[in-house]
Amino acid sequence: MKPEIVILVVEDEPEVLDAIVRDINEFEDFFDVEMADTAEEAEEIINGLPDREQQIGLILCDHVLPGKNGVDLLIEMQENELTRNTRKVLITGQAGLDETVKAVNKADLKHYIAKPWDPNELSDITRKLLTDYVIDHIKNPLPYMQILDAERLADHMRQHGTITDS
Amino acid sequence: MTRTKWIGLFLGIAGFLLPLLLSFPGLTTAGHIAMGIFLLAAVFWMFEVIPIYSTSLLVIFLQVTLLSREGFLSHGSDYSPAPYTDFISTLADPIIILFLGGFVLADAAVKYNFDKNMTRILLRPFGSDPKYIILGLMSVTAILSAFMSNTATTAMMITVLIPILARTDINDPARIGMALSIPFAANIGGVATPIGTPPNAVVIAALNQQGLNVEFGSWMVYAAPLAIIMLLFAWYLLLKLHPPAASKIELDMKGSWMKSKKAITLYVVFAVTVLLWITETLHGIRSAIVALLPVVVLTLTSTFEKEDIRKLPWEVLWLIAGGISLGLSMQQTGLADWVVDGISWEAMPYLVLISVFALVALVLSNFLSNTVTASLMIPLGISLATSGVVGGPASVMMIGLVIALSTSFAMVLPISTPPNAIAVSTGVVKTKDMIVSGSIIGITAIILVIIMTAFYWPFLL
Repeated sequence: MKPEIVILVVEDEPEVLDAIVRDINEFEDFFDVEMADTAEEAEEIINGLPDREQQIGLILCDHVLPGKNGVDLLIEMQENELTRNTRKVLITGQAGLDETVKAVNKADLKHYIAKPWDPNELSDITRKLLTDYVIDHIKNPLPYMQILDAERLADHMRQHGTITDS
Repeated sequence: MTRTKWIGLFLGIAGFLLPLLLSFPGLTTAGHIAMGIFLLAAVFWMFEVIPIYSTSLLVIFLQVTLLSREGFLSHGSDYSPAPYTDFISTLADPIIILFLGGFVLADAAVKYNFDKNMTRILLRPFGSDPKYIILGLMSVTAILSAFMSNTATTAMMITVLIPILARTDINDPARIGMALSIPFAANIGGVATPIGTPPNAVVIAALNQQGLNVEFGSWMVYAAPLAIIMLLFAWYLLLKLHPPAASKIELDMKGSWMKSKKAITLYVVFAVTVLLWITETLHGIRSAIVALLPVVVLTLTSTFEKEDIRKLPWEVLWLIAGGISLGLSMQQTGLADWVVDGISWEAMPYLVLISVFALVALVLSNFLSNTVTASLMIPLGISLATSGVVGGPASVMMIGLVIALSTSFAMVLPISTPPNAIAVSTGVVKTKDMIVSGSIIGITAIILVIIMTAFYWPFLL
C-alpha cells in the first residue's frame, strides 16, 4: 500500500539532497520521501496532493534556492489548507536572523538545522516531528509504532482511547 | 469500499431477506424476521461492512421497527410483540451502567496517572531478574485489565515496556517474551471480573434475563482461578519459548503521585468502588448500583469533567447493547428454541456439547470481535440450556461462563484482539511467535474450562 504520509525534501544541490535523503533512509519503508530541487517543483507536488490521497507530514527545506526561496515556500505552505499542518524544518547555512524569525512567526517553523548537520540529529528531529504529526492528525497510529516514538504513540492511545476493546 | 465489504453487504442483505422469502415449519413469522436480523448482524459483524457498533445499533433499530408493539408490522396471534422500550432500554441495562462506572473510573485513573503509578509500585517487588520482570509485567497487566479495558491497559504497559526494551540487548529472546506477555496478560486479566472485558457483559446480561443474578464477587470466584492459572502457565510458556539471555535488567521507572485534591478524590473513590464491588456478597448492594458511585462522586467534584465524559468509549457500550438486544428477540420470538430443537443434541454427551461451544467460541473470536462472538453464541447457548437438553439453572450459568471465558482466550493473531495488534505493531514480536504461543494458550485454556465445567463450577452453583 502507498504510504499515507509524505516527507518532502527541498534542496537544489544534488549532493546535499542525496545526503539528507541518506540520513533519513530508515523512514523510507513507512513514508514516501519526495524530492524537489526548487520551490516551484515543491509546489507542483503540493498541488498534486488531493489526487494522490497523501498528506505531507514533514518538509525539510533549504533556504537559498533558485527562484522562490525556502522561507517564502514555507510561509506559502502555512497559508495553504493542504499543508498548514505539515511540520516545517529549515536546513540551511545561509538564512539570516530576519529570514529565520520570519519563518518562525509566519510559517510556524518547528526546527532550524544548521549545515553541516549531525546525521543523528536529523534523524531524531524527523522522528520527533513525525510522531507529533501522527498524534495530531492520524486516526490509527499503530502502523507507525515501529519507526516512530512508540512510547509517545502508546501514551497517546492510553490517554485518548484511540483504540478500544472490541 | 473494499471488495470484502461489498461481498459482506450483499450477503448481509441476502441473509436478511432469505428467511422472509422462505417459510420454515414450526417457526413464527416474527421468528423469521428475527432470523433475518440475526443473519444480517452476523454477516455485517463478520465482514465489518459497517463499524461493529453501528451494526449493534442497526439491530436495535430493526427490532424496534419490525418486532416491537409500536413497530410498523402487525403480528399474528403466535407472537405478542414486546414494547419498543424493551429493546432501547438495553442501552441502559444494569450491565451497561456497570461498564459505564468502570469506564469513568478507568479514564479518571488515566487522567490522574493512577494507572502508571500503580504499575510503578506493583512492579518494584519483582526485582531485576528478567524472568521475574516478565512475571511482574504480566501480574500488573492482568490486575489492571481486570478493572480497566484490556486495550487501554496494554497501551499503558507498552509505555512502560519501551524503556525496558531499550535497555535489553537487541538479540535477547526476552524482548519477544516481554512484548508477548503484555497483550496475553491483558486478555487473560479481562476474564477475572464482570467488568474486565465486554463479552462478560453480554453473557451476564443474558443470564440476568433468565433471572440469574451474577454477583461481582461470585463471577470472580468462578473465573479468577482460571485467570490466575492461565497467567502462570503463559509465563512459564513464554520463558520456555523465549528464554531470557540477560541475567539482569534494571528497571528505572520514574514518576510521582499527584497530590491535588481531585487526584486524592480519585484514589479514594477507586478504592471504595472496587472494594464494594468485590464484597457484593457481604452487603448485597448490586454492582451496577455501586457503579453509580464513581460516576456521581467524580463528576460532582469536577474530578471528571465534561470533556472527559465526551472521551468515554461510548461505542463499546453501544456494541454491548446491540448484543444484548439481539438475544432478546431471538428468545421472545422463539427463534433460539426453534434452532436448538432442530438439532438432535441428545446424541451428544454433555461434555462434548460444552467442548463444542468452547471450541467454536475460541475459533470464531480469533477472527471476530470477542463481543460479537459472545453476542452470536449466547442466545443459542441459553436456549440449549433452558430447553431441557442439558437442563437446570446451573447449566445456563455454566454455558454462559464457557462462552464468555472461551472468547477471551482467543489470542492467536494480531487481529484476534486489539491488545495483540498493539504488541505486534511495536515490531518486536513477529506474528509467527504470536501464533505459536497464542495457540498453545488458547487450547490449554479450553481444556481447563472443560475441566472446570466438570469438577469446579458444579460445586459452586
